[in-house]
Amino acid sequence: MREAMRTLLVNSLLALALAAVPLAAHHSFGAEYDANKPVTLTGVVTSIEWTNPHSHFYLDVKDDKGNVANWKFEGYPPSVLSRTGWKRDATMKVGDTVTVFGWRARDGTNWAHSREVTFKDGKKLFFGPPAGTGDGGPIPAVDAK
Amino acid sequence: MLRRSLVAVLLFPLALAAQWPDYPSQGVPKGPDGKPNLDAPAPRTADGHVDLSGVWENRRANFGRGGRGGAAAPLAPSGPPTATFANIGAGFPGGQLPLHPLAAEVLKRRKEENSKDNPDAHCLPMGLGQLHEHPQPRKIIQTPAVTVIIYEANSGLRQIFTDGRPLPPKDVEPWWYGYSVGHWEGDALVVETTGFRDDVWLDINGSPMTNAGKMIEKFRRPTFGKLDIEVTIDDPSAYTKPFTVAFHQQIMLNTDLIEFICSENERSDAHLVGK
Repeated sequence: MREAMRTLLVNSLLALALAAVPLAAHHSFGAEYDANKPVTLTGVVTSIEWTNPHSHFYLDVKDDKGNVANWKFEGYPPSVLSRTGWKRDATMKVGDTVTVFGWRARDGTNWAHSREVTFKDGKKLFFGPPAGTGDGGPIPAVDAK
Repeated sequence: MLRRSLVAVLLFPLALAAQWPDYPSQGVPKGPDGKPNLDAPAPRTADGHVDLSGVWENRRANFGRGGRGGAAAPLAPSGPPTATFANIGAGFPGGQLPLHPLAAEVLKRRKEENSKDNPDAHCLPMGLGQLHEHPQPRKIIQTPAVTVIIYEANSGLRQIFTDGRPLPPKDVEPWWYGYSVGHWEGDALVVETTGFRDDVWLDINGSPMTNAGKMIEKFRRPTFGKLDIEVTIDDPSAYTKPFTVAFHQQIMLNTDLIEFICSENERSDAHLVGK
């Protein structure tokens, strides 16, 4: 948990540094998520929704007291996941332990917009677009919805 | 053991066949090395016009896989400024469009509300500017009498009639995508569209267009691999003068659109927060 808090702090500082970049709404990113509230969590995948307009996966995250909270992460639709190398029921499965980086929902629930998923073997894949993008910027857009 | 093998055989194709498997595109020009020559001249239809047919992706929306159109191409150095997904006027000084004060107020309000009312965020149709720029691809099917564009994003569908019919009268029922007719000027398909709803979002910021608006699109395919679209918005209700922006797309080979049914599992609506 302390590690998670440290990551949270580092990411928060990073977000402040990046805040100078104009954050354009993307599928109303700003209405749903807070780009200044990055979050990194490790947990066990409890279910995956490979659905439109967004795919989701759920993670059981345990704190250092052993309390488990179920988090929901939103990401790309299946079309984009397929085109970027994800395979349904194969790349990430229920029971896998993964680490997710994303941004928290503005309504404060255990709900976040996922960006990067890190698997046990160290492999990293994007499950969702970067925060608030859509305006091009220095990175070629791969985000949809 | 037999049962497990059967289960494996049954499940394995299910895991992979989430879409049409890659299949070679027809009529792709090849270079001496046998690879697709995307710089070859554009194909032509039997009636001599440039054939715009194909699956196209925004030139900035390269998904990074081989064989799907190559690396993201640089944008045109000349011509109208390039629109972006967030701001159709991004290429103008200060990203500013020639808005009437009332339209400027609409745009300001939409941005302040974090674009929460962007129709796309509610599984409603996007403005055509958003569809031209959307990272999900679109497929053009050109025939002599009608050109159809299927936008993967939100399953958008347009018919551009080239059978000589005029645009409908001004009091026609407003449509999300309007009413489109086209004609050829040299190698450009010039498309005029009117009859839009009053609440168009040209981009995700919310640049407006009204029912008084006319959109003129010039589709050009300068090479086999490239599609350039110049869009002029002429809407005296929202803008002080017409303006023209460009969209740049590239061919996607050996692949096709993927089904996208937006209302399948829409969960965001309940979480959208405005100001």
